[in-house]
Amino acid sequence: MSLMKLGLVRGLIGEVVGALAGVFVVMFIRAATGYESAYSAEPCWVIGLLAGAIGFLIGVGALTDWSKWWVGQETPMHHGPPVGQPAWTRYFGVDYNHKVIGIQYGVTGFIMLMIGGGFALLFRTELARSGLQFLQPATYNTVMSMHGWAALFSILIGIGGMANYIVPLMLGAEDMAFPRLNAFAYWINVPAIISLLASTYYGWDGGWTVYPPLSLRGGAGYQFVFIAIFLLGFSSILGSLNIIATIIRMRPPGMSLFRMPIFCWAVMATSFLQLTATQFIAQAFLMLSVSRALGMGFFDPAKGGDPILFQHLFWFYSHPAVYVFVLPGLGIISEILPVFCRKPLFGYRWVALSSVGIALVGFIVWGHHMFTSGYAPYLRVWFMISTLLVAVPTGVKFFSWLGTMWGGKLTFPTPMLFVLGSISVFLLGGLSGPVLATVASDQPLQDSYFVLGHFHATIFGGFVFPFFAAIYYWYPKITGRMYNETMGKIHFWITTPAFWVMSVGQMTAGTMGMRRRIADYEQGLAGMVNPHLGTIEVIHMAITLSAFLIAFGVLLMIYNLFHSAEMGKVAGSNPWRSRSPEWQIPSPIPEHSFARPITVVGEPYDYGLPGSYVTMSGAAAGDD
Amino acid sequence: MPKSSTHPRHFIIVGVLVAIVTVVLYVVLEKALPMPAQASLEALTIDWLFGLHMLVLSFLFALVVVFMVYSIVVFRRREGDDSDGEHIEGSTTIEVVWTVVPLILVVIFAFIGFKTLNDITRQDPNSVVIKAHAQQWQWQFEYEGGVISDTLVVPLQHRVHMEMDSKDVIHSFFVAEFRVKQDAVPGMVTHVDFTPIMTTEEYLAIADRKGEEMKVRCSELCGLSHWSMMAPVRVVPENEFTAWLHREMVKVNPALTKAVLSKTSN
Repeated sequence: MSLMKLGLVRGLIGEVVGALAGVFVVMFIRAATGYESAYSAEPCWVIGLLAGAIGFLIGVGALTDWSKWWVGQETPMHHGPPVGQPAWTRYFGVDYNHKVIGIQYGVTGFIMLMIGGGFALLFRTELARSGLQFLQPATYNTVMSMHGWAALFSILIGIGGMANYIVPLMLGAEDMAFPRLNAFAYWINVPAIISLLASTYYGWDGGWTVYPPLSLRGGAGYQFVFIAIFLLGFSSILGSLNIIATIIRMRPPGMSLFRMPIFCWAVMATSFLQLTATQFIAQAFLMLSVSRALGMGFFDPAKGGDPILFQHLFWFYSHPAVYVFVLPGLGIISEILPVFCRKPLFGYRWVALSSVGIALVGFIVWGHHMFTSGYAPYLRVWFMISTLLVAVPTGVKFFSWLGTMWGGKLTFPTPMLFVLGSISVFLLGGLSGPVLATVASDQPLQDSYFVLGHFHATIFGGFVFPFFAAIYYWYPKITGRMYNETMGKIHFWITTPAFWVMSVGQMTAGTMGMRRRIADYEQGLAGMVNPHLGTIEVIHMAITLSAFLIAFGVLLMIYNLFHSAEMGKVAGSNPWRSRSPEWQIPSPIPEHSFARPITVVGEPYDYGLPGSYVTMSGAAAGDD
Repeated sequence: MPKSSTHPRHFIIVGVLVAIVTVVLYVVLEKALPMPAQASLEALTIDWLFGLHMLVLSFLFALVVVFMVYSIVVFRRREGDDSDGEHIEGSTTIEVVWTVVPLILVVIFAFIGFKTLNDITRQDPNSVVIKAHAQQWQWQFEYEGGVISDTLVVPLQHRVHMEMDSKDVIHSFFVAEFRVKQDAVPGMVTHVDFTPIMTTEEYLAIADRKGEEMKVRCSELCGLSHWSMMAPVRVVPENEFTAWLHREMVKVNPALTKAVLSKTSN
């Protein structure tokens, strides 16, 4: 089989051809208009990367069907692997099946998780001891900034994986509403990732928040990052559009909104956030990009601009984005918990509406990231109150989870362990929030390691742990085989204590006065020697060791997943005795998921009652 | 153990455990999350609020974790039991309670948050005004009479009003012992107020200071040497401060000598 048959390989060739073409066009224009040197990194690569992205999409084939439509050609939907090629090749090219796209998203998200984590291990090694060891400040700043965006890529792509794979199955749908758009929304992530990783060559030092005027100076790496996020934003917007259309239009008969599996509610709330907020960061980064490339002064006071304006635009997306990161994960918790408690989800409607509540409040709290920024002081009171309000719908979720567990018949396979772990970790993240919400107590903690501890706890509790839980939970559905339970449990028992040490350690360092994003710290920071925990260096060493333990756990998980795909026990169609539609069909799921259309005849989580949630009836679905 | 999950005995046990865990957690948190020395009035207010948060945090954490762990232990499935749990779909009363009670807590904390913010941002017309100029990667402090200093010298027990600006990128003024923080933004002037209550001498005398004085540390990522952008802080009694300022004023403008000398002798 020729490598050229793989869409990914053609796409990468397209990326290189497009990028070189873009660079040469700029060089030609520069030479023709009398610049001294034809090549200048920044303008050349801005155009080069955009042309490269288009080249990639053409090469991989994400635009093929649409361009045929423009010239009036019909393109019938192709099912199954590419003709005459082995089945695995479909994962490396454009495929319209949502299950394939879901796996593509999920694996890409996982790879980005490892890359983001890898950057963290690099600078954590440096920070284990006081003093500059092997990372010089310039490299440190780039690596630290890359950790931020690589990890956020992992989250956005990871939730895309969960939503794409699971939502249509839960609705008993054949596919997503717009399969071609779905494939396009996935594949545009790849040039985005290429741009992001390439930025390390020139370096950039702004952290993931890239506040100007700092981001208007510094290396050409910034432009790579702006373009990467611009492309990723396309994926977010188009993907969420697709999910909203799917959930609203493709539910089976009998599935009213309040009879949907709860994960669909979480994903729908998330998608509305993504659909409406992503434009703001795209706009903000576009303004930064043209400020650098064309000398516009949106955020430069010397040219009449305002640096604070950027922060408003940035956080108007980036705060809702935090809820985008955690809402699907909280949905996973609510989804998996009833199955292993053998009890209905306590207060289903309240849990469903709490997701919507969090999403709505999420739009009016962005200013709490800017308590020390210097905007009008009275605004801080308003943002403090709106921020504290987030506690109310979040509390509803926690208490409902407790209500679900109470009086159940709990079992503890790996997915359940990770769900319980994520509740404990997200609790730590949630409860450390109000301290940062009241302006006075935020003062010493703003931009400190305390914020790092808080943020990592919410993200691990709201995304990483549920992501792991989801992978273990749906693994038998995806592969038809059971993962190795012992290894899964070891993974959990390594990760959870290690994470707790890491997160609490970060908070301790923060209260002791450790600022975030510094390449080095003083041994006797703020004159502090904690009589109970020792110097700040001891705490940093503990954080670093925990980070390595978490990384080891991830490697163990990967081994488990690969190993069990071949050696694992055959799982059967419904090993967890779930009522959800996807567990009523064979594992692994056939090309056409549902042989017959489903009808909803009960409640999704009525464990403890006879009867079922869905029935399959009617004629066999046509193979269109 | 009683069979029914709504038997009062479950809730009595959980209630007792929540109380115990709350107290234990509060004590542990106090030790695990230490703040630097309290060298300003603001530190007292802020640490009090922080402590209040920790108390509520301890209780809520205990509440959720005790219920969770209790369920894990008591309501786990017994060997060979394949039946489902009790069929309880929810309770509107309970949902309303755990929506309204947090809402009341939010209102209380919003009120306290408002009061403490007012407290730490209190303006005093008699404040010593110090201008801070930030640039990559150093601080400079400007006093009345054009006195420029690389060290932030402030008087004890006297309100200080900082007016900050930046020459290049965003920096942030932060003295951990004072607790207050404020960004210095190019193109605008930002303010922060504090009242020092501990002299440098007293600060250094505390056993574990290891001779490290207080420092201004830049808290907003500002590029290559952000990590090392610091300036020493010296808190001195008010008369020493005045004397120092006058000496410095004379250095800037020797013509002032007579006037200053007559002022100090007063």
